[in-house]
Amino acid sequence: MTERSSGRADSAVAAVATDPLRARFHRARVFSWMQAVGIVALLAVTLGTPGFLAGPSILSLLTTVSFIGCVAIGMTLITISGNIMSFALGATVGATAMVFILASNWLGFGPGLLVGLLFGSLLTGLQGLLIGWVRANPIIVSIAALALIYGVAQAFAEKGTIYAEAGTVPASVKGKIAGVPIEFIVFLLATFIAQFILSATRFGRNLFMVGSSFRAAEAVGVSTWRTVTGAYVWAGFFTSLSGIMLAIRYDSANMDYGVAYDYDAIAAVLVGGTAIGGGDGSALRTFAGGMVIAAVQVMLLLRGLRQEWQYLAAGLIVLAVIILQARGSGR
Amino acid sequence: MKLRHHLDGSHSRPFAALVACIVLLAVVDGGQGRFLSAATAYSTLQIFATISLVTLGLGLTMMIREFDLSVVGMYGMAGCIAVLSGTQHPWLGLWFALAIGVAAGIAQGFIIVRLSLSSVGVTLGGLLVFVGIAFVLTESRSLPYDNLSVALTLNERIGGIFSIRSAVALVFFAGAAAVFAWTRLGRDIIAIGSDRRAAMTAGVKVDPLVIGIFAFSGFCAALSGVLLSYSLASASPAGLSDVIAPAAAGAILGGVSLGGGSGRPLGIAAGALTLAVLRSGLNAVGAPPFVNDITMGAVLLGVAVLDGPYLTRRLIVARQWLHRATGT
Repeated sequence: MTERSSGRADSAVAAVATDPLRARFHRARVFSWMQAVGIVALLAVTLGTPGFLAGPSILSLLTTVSFIGCVAIGMTLITISGNIMSFALGATVGATAMVFILASNWLGFGPGLLVGLLFGSLLTGLQGLLIGWVRANPIIVSIAALALIYGVAQAFAEKGTIYAEAGTVPASVKGKIAGVPIEFIVFLLATFIAQFILSATRFGRNLFMVGSSFRAAEAVGVSTWRTVTGAYVWAGFFTSLSGIMLAIRYDSANMDYGVAYDYDAIAAVLVGGTAIGGGDGSALRTFAGGMVIAAVQVMLLLRGLRQEWQYLAAGLIVLAVIILQARGSGR
Repeated sequence: MKLRHHLDGSHSRPFAALVACIVLLAVVDGGQGRFLSAATAYSTLQIFATISLVTLGLGLTMMIREFDLSVVGMYGMAGCIAVLSGTQHPWLGLWFALAIGVAAGIAQGFIIVRLSLSSVGVTLGGLLVFVGIAFVLTESRSLPYDNLSVALTLNERIGGIFSIRSAVALVFFAGAAAVFAWTRLGRDIIAIGSDRRAAMTAGVKVDPLVIGIFAFSGFCAALSGVLLSYSLASASPAGLSDVIAPAAAGAILGGVSLGGGSGRPLGIAAGALTLAVLRSGLNAVGAPPFVNDITMGAVLLGVAVLDGPYLTRRLIVARQWLHRATGT
């Protein structure tokens, strides 16, 4: 069968009948073309929106995207490991913020940072241990963790919000570096660290293997439970960055921080093109996905549509991407 | 023989958990009459009405080895739709919301079956879309439902402990149990959950059944959402979202295994009732509200670990390691 220049539907159908491999390749290429065209169209509409390139809107975009972005980077590792998503990362953001404020009030800012990061990593890592070691269902474990975290947080902090003592948080971590919000710099660093872990370490290679086929990874001698636990520990680490940054920004902590971040994060992961079934994806893609969603939201706002349309837009984008992924992978 | 099978089979486990829960709370109460009272029974059934139908829908999708995340979004969206469209004619709002629930369920089931996609992914997309629609419809506000007589009628006590709302839930469970007991449908559902390919070979119409179960799940979520919003006389796009944990916990307590292929409607009813007893009972004996969250989370976590396919293997390895460590 000769290659035709026009990508008409009937030629694609014929290809499916005769040559499944080529059909899959063809569909994958159509998918990536659609993705590219979609992103270019989106960029054009976004940049053409009056006021988008003005300073304040860009800066506020960069700050808000960073909080969700760090969670999304963590979520990426969980998704790649083949465990779909966690519903407990949003609650972990709030819990980490509280632990960070408590620890900084007690021990000072530096140790507080350390305690916060350690807490988030351990809390999520523990869930990863259960998921990796006995292969407990990841969705149920994360829903259980969600209920437990909220329950324990309520038991400990009856008043709801806890405040940082004056002078605990140094003013130098609240500003901008060369005009860029510190939050965004942390998000960028997190993206690069995660990308380095994924593409340049043995752990990263194992993670892709476990995610694409658990049995195959086990058969070639990968310690699957260590890999899955590691993915969750790192996911907790990146998530706690978000909690700590929120606590620093508002000088206080509350379990309302991070509510619904799980959904925003998985949206960024999927829009970036990381496969929901695991085994494929990257932190850079999630970074792009998060920026695309944020840009769409700011654009909708600037074009006069109310905030609630952002939620609908994000939902529709995620649904479309999930369906398109299936067509692209030729399943 | 048959009796023994009934006694130690997994079918009776949900009911044993329910009885244990009631006995435990009665002991904690210590004969002060706070727990074993008509008021507690009524509030238990009200909570049961709120969570049980969603649990049934989600449980059925888990039985066929899928997972319908979108019930959370449908629950909230259906309430908003009914409150917006049913002020004058409550039935109209109800039918409208139910039709949307069924249609959305069919659409999701169709996508899952046709594109052989993971149900978690598709229903996650559905969930986000439904939540988005609820926000757009309500303009991010909490909507009051001005037809207060509907709210009063729905919650009015019948026979001391029931209300129309809880009676509706009980009738649905009775219907589902009857369908499971006297038709092929129940066996077909279990067959799909145990081994989809074998079920297909045996002549079970797998694809229509899967779509049908997602439609039923959408219907259940919509119905509970509408009944709750009507009886609270308000609907909000965000306030109803903490339903996924009780629904999943109820189904699992009710004997639905995470790997699919087991569970019964009556078991699911027992599971949801256990959670309802726990919540209203803890409330009645004056326990702080977080005890309920912690208990539910601990139960879910425990079941998830006990259901883990590698648990036995890991325990054997751990025992050998322990043996070696103590032996040398």
